[in-house]
Amino acid sequence: MTSTLFLAGYAAFVGVFAPRVLARARWTHRAPRLAVLAWYALMATFLVTVTLAAYHLVLREQHVHDGLVGLLSACGLFPVGSASHAAADPATLLPPALVVLLPAGWFLDRVWRTRRAQRRHVALLAVVGNPSADHDAVIVDHDTPVVYCLPGRYRQVVVTRAAIKVLSQEQLGAVLAHERAHIAGRHHLCHAMVDAFGRSFPGLPLARQAKGQVALLLEMAADDRALRLHSRENLAAAMCEVAAGRAPRAAFGAGGSSAAVRLHRLLVPAATPGRAARLGVVGGSLAALLVPLLIACGPFFG
Amino acid sequence: MRPLGELEAQIMNRLWTWGRPAPARDIHADLNRTRPIAYSTVKTVAEILFRKGMLQREKQGRAWQYEPTCSRQQYTASLMQDALGDNPDPAGALLSFVEQMSASEVEALRSALRAAKRRGEA
Repeated sequence: MTSTLFLAGYAAFVGVFAPRVLARARWTHRAPRLAVLAWYALMATFLVTVTLAAYHLVLREQHVHDGLVGLLSACGLFPVGSASHAAADPATLLPPALVVLLPAGWFLDRVWRTRRAQRRHVALLAVVGNPSADHDAVIVDHDTPVVYCLPGRYRQVVVTRAAIKVLSQEQLGAVLAHERAHIAGRHHLCHAMVDAFGRSFPGLPLARQAKGQVALLLEMAADDRALRLHSRENLAAAMCEVAAGRAPRAAFGAGGSSAAVRLHRLLVPAATPGRAARLGVVGGSLAALLVPLLIACGPFFG
Repeated sequence: MRPLGELEAQIMNRLWTWGRPAPARDIHADLNRTRPIAYSTVKTVAEILFRKGMLQREKQGRAWQYEPTCSRQQYTASLMQDALGDNPDPAGALLSFVEQMSASEVEALRSALRAAKRRGEA
């Protein structure tokens, strides 16, 4: 029972407390891709912890095996058939399997829905858009400056005439590079994963925070990619122009829009974290993942 | 874009320009002025557009007359609704360059940009 309690406590730590710390961390905006990795590590840790907790809970309730053999089979380190028939019992495996299968199912559902929405969108684009070889994008006649991309199978960058009009050649180049970074980085899959996690654990602070944070961090990562070939001024000015051309929104959440955060980041560049700090983040993420395994399999708790 | 999609666009564009129902034969004749194309291809693509719900058809005499179900503007509006986030859209189907902002925030962004430019020039 002890390990189940410890696992539950750790799940609460990862699901409630850790996201608050990570969301407030200052290094994340300087290394957005690393920060996305950290968010995924937290979500993976939460999944592993809850899976193991569910497994232990079922095992204990069946009062089948205690002692070393039971412990090893609980961790999957001991051949299941010879150690315990409880582990082979489908009823034992069902709760932990559900914890893993639920987000996996939502992920497939998201990817499928995304593709369906894109198919519809692409059909519309085919009849009203004009493919432009110069921009390597599809141009749509519309008087609101809009730039977006469809990532994935139907990969495509779409620009309205108004956007081409308000942006200079260099600014447009920077925006297109940003959109291509989304496509090249397969950011739609990143969104789908966070979304699937959120659907599986609705109301969990980690899920709520991850959704907003990862979306912002992916935008920053695309900005950084665009900056490899384009200047900060051009990308920042393009952001202003496109935002200014859109119908303004009345109400606002706290902390301002993500565009404001991105723009300030462009205008006030900060050094990216050093090698040691990066290794620290990766190491911390791995350590967080190992803790539940240690609790479940370690010699300290029965 | 796929060649078939291109032909779909050409057929829709002609019908929008004409503003009247037309049989596949008329569309074929007009397309043939710019490039050689088989009548059966035009007919097939018109049927595809009908099945997709983009064209409606009505029999006049022995031939089907095709007509767009919506105007070009309506299609563009629907497209932009997707892009501007008015439609509930599954995560990550479209990734927009910037999201919607309030007028005051756009102004704040502009002045931040101007200040940065001045700093750069100074």
